Amino acid sequence: MEITLTHYLLLAAAIFVTGMVGFIVRRNAIVMLMCVELMLSSVNIVFAAFSRFHLDGGGHVFVLMNFAVAAAEAAIGLAILVEIFRRRRTVNVDDLKTLME
Amino acid sequence: MEGFLFWFCGSLMLLGSLMTVTQRSAVVSAVWLIFAFICAAGIFALLNASFLAVMQVLVYAGAIMVLFLFVIMMLQGPELEGERKLLKLPMWPAVAVPPMAIAVMIVGYLQNKGLTQWGPDAPESFGGPNHVAELLLGKYLLAFELISIVLLVALIGALAIGKDERKLPWK
Repeated sequence: MEITLTHYLLLAAAIFVTGMVGFIVRRNAIVMLMCVELMLSSVNIVFAAFSRFHLDGGGHVFVLMNFAVAAAEAAIGLAILVEIFRRRRTVNVDDLKTLME
Repeated sequence: MEGFLFWFCGSLMLLGSLMTVTQRSAVVSAVWLIFAFICAAGIFALLNASFLAVMQVLVYAGAIMVLFLFVIMMLQGPELEGERKLLKLPMWPAVAVPPMAIAVMIVGYLQNKGLTQWGPDAPESFGGPNHVAELLLGKYLLAFELISIVLLVALIGALAIGKDERKLPWK
């Protein structure tokens, strides 16, 4: 069977869904951040696939932008997590509900 | 050949992401995520994006995941109790809806077969460093400069969050 654009889109959708379900069901904040990285990565595949489909390099440039956004997100998110852990000795999001109560 | 490589890289990447989500230990999750990212680099290479494939391994599987592993090393405590109760909550809608969305995509594909065929073969230079650099430093120069400000702000923010509050310059 010939590989078409749809195959890549379906792969990206499946990985996005995996990351999303992980973000919903996991309670460890670090793993939740990793699931966000997974979702960002699946979006990168869509960018690259459409770039190939239209033979336009713009998608590649925006994947590089996405790399920068993912790096910034990881740096800030992990810094916040380290600070939370220093104060509360936990990274379980179920225990972090001071704002909710 | 392209078909085999797509199924190979794609299924391994899906396996890696599933293991990332289901493994209980954060370290094991992180290592599976590195595996998934390397498979994503293979997918990029299949899409004629050779430069992106290299950057995926360098930036994602290298830099970002090392950051994650360092933080896990600092924070790893006992296993989280809350995760024992996974899926007991009424979260089945969240798990059931996305596969339905994918099913709709598959049906749409079967009805419009042929619309998504690849066009002509990509030229030799497509997606290489030269091609990307021409776009990045030409047409998309403004976005390139702005993203560097995003990174700078993230760097300052991470430093400010991580620093002892009493020692911040404005205190």
